[in-house]
Amino acid sequence: MEVTEKKAVKSIAIIGNPNVGKSSIFNQLTGLHQKIGNYPGMTVDKMLGYFNIGDKSFELIDLPGTYSLYPKSEDEIIAHKVLNGIGLEKPDAVMVVLDACNLERSLLLGTQVMDLGIPMAFVVNMKDLAEKRGLSIQTFALYQELGVPLVMTDARNNHGLEAVRDLLSNDDFAVGKTFCECGFAELLEEVRLKFGFETPYQAFQQLVFAEFDPMLDPEMKNWLEERSQIHDFDSQVQQARETNQRYEHIKSILLKTQSSGSGKPKKLHAALDGIFMHPVWGYVTFLAIMLLIFQAIFAWAEAPMDLIDGAFAALSGWVAETLPPGVLTDLLSEGIITGIGGVVIFIPQIALLFGFLAFLEDTGYFSRVVFLMDRLMRPFGLHGKSIVPLISGMACAIPGIMATRNISNTKERLITILVTPWMSCSARLPVYIILIGLTVPDEAWLGVNLQALALLVMYLIGTLFTLLGAFALKFVLKSKERSFLMTELPIYRMPRWQTVLLTMFNKSKIFVLEAGKVILAISIVLWVLASYGPSGEMEAIEAEQEAMLETVLEEQRYELNNEFASKKLEASYIGILGKAIEPAIRPLGYDWKIGIALLTSFAAREVFVATVATIYSVGGDVEDELTIREKLEKQVHPDTGEKVFTRATGFSLMVFYALAMQCMSTVAVVYRETKSWKWPVLQTIGMTIVAYLGALLTYQIWS
Amino acid sequence: MTAAGLKINQIYEIERITTSPLMVRMMEMGVMPGKSISLLQKAPFKGPMAFLIEGNILALRIEEAELIQIKVA
Repeated sequence: MEVTEKKAVKSIAIIGNPNVGKSSIFNQLTGLHQKIGNYPGMTVDKMLGYFNIGDKSFELIDLPGTYSLYPKSEDEIIAHKVLNGIGLEKPDAVMVVLDACNLERSLLLGTQVMDLGIPMAFVVNMKDLAEKRGLSIQTFALYQELGVPLVMTDARNNHGLEAVRDLLSNDDFAVGKTFCECGFAELLEEVRLKFGFETPYQAFQQLVFAEFDPMLDPEMKNWLEERSQIHDFDSQVQQARETNQRYEHIKSILLKTQSSGSGKPKKLHAALDGIFMHPVWGYVTFLAIMLLIFQAIFAWAEAPMDLIDGAFAALSGWVAETLPPGVLTDLLSEGIITGIGGVVIFIPQIALLFGFLAFLEDTGYFSRVVFLMDRLMRPFGLHGKSIVPLISGMACAIPGIMATRNISNTKERLITILVTPWMSCSARLPVYIILIGLTVPDEAWLGVNLQALALLVMYLIGTLFTLLGAFALKFVLKSKERSFLMTELPIYRMPRWQTVLLTMFNKSKIFVLEAGKVILAISIVLWVLASYGPSGEMEAIEAEQEAMLETVLEEQRYELNNEFASKKLEASYIGILGKAIEPAIRPLGYDWKIGIALLTSFAAREVFVATVATIYSVGGDVEDELTIREKLEKQVHPDTGEKVFTRATGFSLMVFYALAMQCMSTVAVVYRETKSWKWPVLQTIGMTIVAYLGALLTYQIWS
Repeated sequence: MTAAGLKINQIYEIERITTSPLMVRMMEMGVMPGKSISLLQKAPFKGPMAFLIEGNILALRIEEAELIQIKVA
C-alpha cells in the first residue's frame, strides 16, 4: 500500500464479550485480508483486517474478547491502551459487539466504552437466537436511551452485515452520553490533565490500569499511586462500585427497551451437556474425539508431509545440479532449501490440529473439556485448559505450544509451555523405530509383540515426565496470581467453516513467518559446521576422493562416495565437536559418531536417522530403514570389537531422545510465545540435563 | 448457604457475592445478586461445577462457588 493511500484508511476497532460473534463479523468483513502483528511488549497477537466499501478503505483492529475494561490479563490491558491511544495509535472509531441474548451483561463493556468519549456504534449480534428465545428489543428506543447508533446482525448467517457496511461507509459513529459518574472529580481532573485525556472516565481507567501496564513510565506509575493514596482511591472498591452503578442504570434502560422471553437455552443443549459433561460418558466421548483427531493428524498429515519432503529434496537436487558448483550453490541447496523445507514440513500438522481445535471451539464443545479436565490437571500445577496443548504435543509440540494462548494464568501457561515438548511427538517415531528394531527382538511375550510394547513404554515415559515436570515446576515457579476457573459454557452451535479455515491459514502463517526465521538461521549454522572443517583437511579429503574415483570401477564409485561422505563429516567442525564431547557421552554408551548425530539432530530429532546413515557410510536411500538397520547391526567398536548398538546403548539413546529438547522449531516457538530467550534457553538446558541423567541411568542398568 | 452446596436442579437466588479479588470478575460475567442460579453438572472428584445463571452456563471451581451466597428463590 502506498503512503498517500494509507492516510485515507479509516481505522476501526472492534470489541465485545467472548463468544459474542465478534470474530464472525471480523472475518465476514475482511475475509483473507488479515494481518497478524505484535503489540510492543505483549504476547497477545494484534489482529488487523483490511477491506474497502466503495472507494473508502478501512483497517479493522480486532481487540481481544473481554467482559469489561478492568485489568485482568493482557487482553484488557491491550483494549485499554488501544482505546485510549496510550503508546499505540488510537482508532478513529469503535464498534462494540453486543449479545442480543445477554444485553445486560454486554452493555457493561458497551457503556464503559461509551464513557471513553471515542466515536462508536453498537452491533447487536445473534438476533436469531434472541428471537428464538422470545426476546424482543426495541432498537429505536434503545438508541434513544444510549445515544449511540445501533445495528442488528446475525453474523453467523451473514444477516445484517450490509447494515454494518452502511454504518462504516456513512461514518455514522457517534460519541455516547456520559453513562456513569465515577466520583473523585478532583482526582480524575488532575489525572486527565496530566495525561491529556478527554473524559474523566479515561482518567479513571488510567488509575485502575496503572499497576498492570508493563510499558507505563515508572515515574508516572508512582505519581498515579501517590495521587490514589492522597485521595483514598481504592481501585478494587471503585471497580465494584462502578459495576453496580452501571448494572443499575442498564437494568432501568432494558426495562423500557426489551421485552423478556424465557432466555433459557433449549432442551437439546441440556441433553447434549448431559452426555458431554457426564462424569463417565463425558470422559469416554472426550477420549474418543481425541483419538479420532490424533488418528486423523497422523493419517492425513503423512501424505502432504511426504510430498513436501520429496519436493524440497528434488528442488535441492535440482539446484545442486543446475547451478555452477561452488559454495553458494551448496549453501542454497543444502543449507537454505533444506532449512526452509524443515519449516514447511510442519504445516500439515499445524493446519490440521488447529482446524480441529477451531472446529471444537466454534461448536462450544471446548469449554466442556476444560470443565472435565480441570480437576485432573490441577495437582500438577496445570489448568483445565492445559489438556489441549498436552494432547496436541503427542502429534507435535509446536501447535501444542501455540495453543497455550487461552490459558490466562501466567504460571499455568508457562508450565504448560515448558513441559509440552516432553509429550512423545511424531518426530520421535523414526528414531524409536530404528532403535527398537535394533535392540528389541521381534517376538511375542504373552501374546504382546515386544517391539510394540517398547514403543508404548516410550510414550508412557514421555507422559510421565510431562506430568512430573509440571509437578516439579509448580514448586519452582513463583506466582502471586490466584488460579481460578470461571469459564462460560456457550450454547452448542454449528461450526463456521470460514472460521475454521481462516484459523488453519493464520496459524500456519504465524509459524512459517515467525518461527521460520529462527529455524532457518540455525539450519544454516548447522550446515556450515557440517560442511566445513579446519583449513586444508576438507580439501585433502576431497583431493583424495577425486584421485580414488579415477582409479576405481564405475560400480564401486557409489560405495566410495559414501565412505568419503563419512570421512568429510568426521573432519568437519561438527565432527570435531562430536569427538570433543565423546568423554561426556561415553558413560551413556555412545561413541563420537553418535555424538555427531546428537549434535546435528538438534535441528530436529528425525535428522538422527539421516546423520547416522551418513556417518556409518550407509548411504543410499535414507527412507530404507531395513538397510540402515542391517548396516548398523554390524557396526563394532574398532578398539574393542564390541557391537556399537547394544541393547544398553539403544535404550539409552531412546531415553535421551524421549527427554531431550532436540527440536529447534520448538525452541523458536517457545521464544515466540514467551517473548524472551530466557525460557527456551532454560528449557533446553533443563531438558538436556534430565535427558543426560535418564540416559546415563538407563545405560548403567542395562549394561 | 453458598452455591457450592447446591444440589442438581434446585433453583436458588443469588443473595450476594463475598468480597474478594474475584468479585468484580463474577459481576462482569453476570453473577449478580437477584439472579436465579441452579446446578447443572458436577465434575467428578470435587472438580468444577457448572451453574445455570439466568440463561448462561458458567463453570466454576468449588472455591469460586463458595464465594456466591444464595437463598431460596
